[in-house]
Amino acid sequence: MMVEPIRETASPIVAAQDARPPVIEISALGKTFTLDSGPVVALESVDLTIRKGEFISFVGPSGCGKSTLLNMVAGLLSPSQGEATLNGARIDEPSRQVGFMFQTAVLLPWRTVEENVLMPAEIFGTKTQALREKARSVLEAVGLGEFLKAYPQQLSGGMQQRVSPRTLTSEPDVLLMDEPFGALDEFTREAMNMELMRITQAAGITVLFVTHNITEAVFMADRVVVMTPHPGKVSGVVDVDLPRPRDIGQMQEQRFTDLMFKVRGILGHG
Amino acid sequence: MAKSAALQMGQQVGASFQNGKKQEDLRYRLYSLAIIIVILAVWEIAPRLGLVSPIILPSFTAVVGALISLMQQDFFLRHFSVTLTEIVVGFVLGTSIGLVLGIALAVWPAAKRIAYPFVVGFQAIPKIVFAPLFIAWFGFGMSSKVVMAVVVSFFPVLINTMVGLESVPAEARKLMRSIKATPLQTFRKVSLPHALPVIFAGVKAALTFVVIGAIVGEFVGASEGLGYLVELYKNQLRIDRVFAVIVILAAIGAGGYFLLEWLDRKLIFWRSDVEGK
Repeated sequence: MMVEPIRETASPIVAAQDARPPVIEISALGKTFTLDSGPVVALESVDLTIRKGEFISFVGPSGCGKSTLLNMVAGLLSPSQGEATLNGARIDEPSRQVGFMFQTAVLLPWRTVEENVLMPAEIFGTKTQALREKARSVLEAVGLGEFLKAYPQQLSGGMQQRVSPRTLTSEPDVLLMDEPFGALDEFTREAMNMELMRITQAAGITVLFVTHNITEAVFMADRVVVMTPHPGKVSGVVDVDLPRPRDIGQMQEQRFTDLMFKVRGILGHG
Repeated sequence: MAKSAALQMGQQVGASFQNGKKQEDLRYRLYSLAIIIVILAVWEIAPRLGLVSPIILPSFTAVVGALISLMQQDFFLRHFSVTLTEIVVGFVLGTSIGLVLGIALAVWPAAKRIAYPFVVGFQAIPKIVFAPLFIAWFGFGMSSKVVMAVVVSFFPVLINTMVGLESVPAEARKLMRSIKATPLQTFRKVSLPHALPVIFAGVKAALTFVVIGAIVGEFVGASEGLGYLVELYKNQLRIDRVFAVIVILAAIGAGGYFLLEWLDRKLIFWRSDVEGK
């Protein structure tokens, strides 16, 4: 267990979160890829404790190891050093308690939107009427209620991307997001982010959110993990003490701007 | 709702677009028809004017006459069914073998590394040269032609199956891994449907090869079949009947192709959605 840093601005919200049990504990986690040209350090020793219901943003330029980190927490990639645990158990394979939202929606063209959303349930063997209702409500939340029976190729690219939150259908405890709305226009993206924040906060889902957008990272998170490349590593963690529920208006506040510049400062172009 | 209005508008635009496309289709069909008429006219007139000898090129109407009289012979059905059986059995076996081998090489990397050089080496051989050998091994009957048909046809299915299965997008594989799908579930629910359009292209190519394999086998050594008839009538210089058999073979090939095309559209419905057919 690492020692939590003392916070300069211990707001009641952050203090309450600290009382929650840790869900994911990352200790000395690193990844080195062996290429023909020699070993490449993708991620250098990371220590991080994530508590239940926390929203953590990982922000940094490409090559900073944020996706590598996420893939290791997902159990899709085995670490070279250290380990990550989920509820105390070492992660060495994917878990059904963990949902993963990819950069693209990954829709199979021979399945309707609804069938695509229900595919994990088919694999889990949990495809029930209740789950169908859940899938419907998730799709309605992202504005695709009318397109349940449509095939993906009948939807626009942006609409396809909006199917990404389907992971929520299986009610995961932890949600990993790898820039899932990267291809969306800014307005839709903002709306999707707000909706996602509402759902995960209400359900107490722990979120690890990877992005290269600083504004988004700060606005969504309880803590922003700032990462830098060559080699990929964590350069700092910024506590976001803005009260919840968040609304767009908070972006105008001085505190928000300060936090953004704090992140920028760590990234090295403040 | 703004959304449904937008959808309706989209459908209207789509409808007028499809109208334009239909007219264009019709125009191209007329061009094709015109070309066919010109070819048939030249075919009919050239021998009649003595530009070519009727022994080299019998006129179109002579071939039609030969076709009708040939189909009325009682031996015709026997030869026809022999060749058709060789084609059907060869096609089923050839595509099945290609599919099974293609799947094996795609899902089992060790098998691919060991067998792939042999597969490629085998493909480099012009397999027609095996025809006399197969006659010696399997006799003058249908089995040697079926073997020939299988040998020339399994390869495109094998390659396309392998390529199709290996081209599954990395993110789709990752999704299946993240939900702990078993390899069999991933294969059934993602890889195989994804590969299906490519596999089907290989199957269509296989059909052409199967017909060639069966006929070549019959040329080399047979006592029945349409290929045998071609040889027989050529030796008797009954070229009108040679052409008649060619027309029948073309009809078999075209019939099989349209059957596969129909099956393709039924099976791979999502592709026709993309193309807006």
